[in-house]
Amino acid sequence: MSFRIDTEVAVVGAGPAGLSAALAASAAGARVAVLDEYPEPGGQFYKQLPVEFQVPDRAALDEDYTKGDALLGAVRAAKVELSNETLVWGSLEPGVLSVVRSGVAGIVRARTIVVASGAYERAVAFPGWDLPGVMTPGGAQTLVKNQRLAPAGRIVLAGSGPFLLPVAKSLIAAGAKPAAIYEATRPREWLRHAPRLWGHWERIGEALQYRRLISNAGVPVTFGRIVVRAEGAESLERVVSMKCDGEGRPLPGTGQVERADTLCVGYGFVPSVQLTRLLGCDHRYEPRRGGWVPGYDEAMETSVAGIFVAGEVAGIGGAYAALAEGTLAGLSAARRIGYRVADADLSATRQKREARRRFGDLVNDIFALKPGFYDPIGDDTLVCRCEEVTAGQIREAATEWGADVNFVKGVTRCGMGYCQGRICGDMVEELTARAVGCDREAVGAFRVRSPLKPVQVSTLADLAGQ
Amino acid sequence: MSEIAGQEIDMDTKEPVVSGAAVTILVEGQPVEARRGQMLAATLIASGRFVMRRTRRSGSPRGLFCAMGICYDCVMTINGRAGIRACMTKVEDGMQVSYPVRFKAYPRKT
Repeated sequence: MSFRIDTEVAVVGAGPAGLSAALAASAAGARVAVLDEYPEPGGQFYKQLPVEFQVPDRAALDEDYTKGDALLGAVRAAKVELSNETLVWGSLEPGVLSVVRSGVAGIVRARTIVVASGAYERAVAFPGWDLPGVMTPGGAQTLVKNQRLAPAGRIVLAGSGPFLLPVAKSLIAAGAKPAAIYEATRPREWLRHAPRLWGHWERIGEALQYRRLISNAGVPVTFGRIVVRAEGAESLERVVSMKCDGEGRPLPGTGQVERADTLCVGYGFVPSVQLTRLLGCDHRYEPRRGGWVPGYDEAMETSVAGIFVAGEVAGIGGAYAALAEGTLAGLSAARRIGYRVADADLSATRQKREARRRFGDLVNDIFALKPGFYDPIGDDTLVCRCEEVTAGQIREAATEWGADVNFVKGVTRCGMGYCQGRICGDMVEELTARAVGCDREAVGAFRVRSPLKPVQVSTLADLAGQ
Repeated sequence: MSEIAGQEIDMDTKEPVVSGAAVTILVEGQPVEARRGQMLAATLIASGRFVMRRTRRSGSPRGLFCAMGICYDCVMTINGRAGIRACMTKVEDGMQVSYPVRFKAYPRKT
């Protein structure tokens, strides 16, 4: 059993960028198919409720749900083919994607491809970060917003970045008020970026709203504090945190223990570039936008002709930038295959995109990753969760074999497990660069191979006749 | 001592969402209440089951981490198929869930 989709524009990812790309390409006249791994479209930002859940009065939902409705409604009305539960795992020839949909293998042929694969949360290890009960802030957000389930017991929310705010809001609304919030940066460090905030009133208003909500709920927020250890026998019992200096380094003698059942901790996002790498696009290291990102021109086309990118995969910039960038990529992709797109539309979209990217960059600068965040990673600390490789093993391999993460991977097996280095990759690069004393560009990134995520061999066998 | 488990958001007050119909799944043969549309990982957390697998080498407990299908730390054996992500799999009535064979001690948090 297998299936096949023939289309003009294939969009990978049904988040803000992917959906707006699909809508734009379709409005320009192109036939569009959107491929997304999740059961419901919307991505992480416009996360929808499971179709099996009933919503008697949609207007009673908070705006986080309803603001995705207009976009999704327009995409559906535009007769864009939405293919959910569809994992893109490979590409055996140009313009052809190998996919699996609900356990059935398939092939998608397209004249152009827009990769809008988004991002995932940056994990920075500390002893005990693999204990059940420790999860990403996005994980908690998904439980509350998609599953309508409040995480258990006493909750600590920690890490750094603006994303902690909506997560705190969701937890409070769900009656699961965090016992403590630790933000690693300090407001006084934000001040030097203040002049660049001018004009972004809507976003500032949003941030102030979150802030008021959190303080009204009586949740204590501590700035300049990071989690250095999680403790517990079979699952999380205690969170140990320390004050940190301006470089993010934990200050001795400032340790504090908080009883907790759930710890949500994350340090921003990493672009999900596995597919763009597999497709052969050139990538560059851009720490301000989350790490390795594909290069692209002003039409959002990558170094590979006919492959476009939009949204977080092109560099972390937030959902509003992703929406405009999706439109730009969608219009460009349609134009690339001969559909008429007015220059005025393109340049207006480009301007919008650039303004929003500027704000994204500002937020990225305010919450820039600090070198000290990696200090709690001792030699015994687990870094690769799948293959159970410690920081000590990675440091030793780097020192012995040289400044290349793929040597380190080969020697230690880090990044070779189920997640294929998504969780540890960024950390392994950082630890390798530090162990050898060179910059991140020099140590490179894990090579990707298809299948990009585990696929059943029996499923692949079904493709044999295609 | 009260059991610590995920709490379904209070439906009577302001919750505008009605979860799917009640179904029963079997976790290591034990019946566990679930809702249609729920992800298996959410069902397990709602029932106090934080530990979803143990690692091959050290036998360390692991549970839900990313909840978005990236980290593969919540992989379980579902209806006889090994290595399936509990965070990406919706429950079905009668679904059989088991832990990897090697480790049988999966405590519930009390």
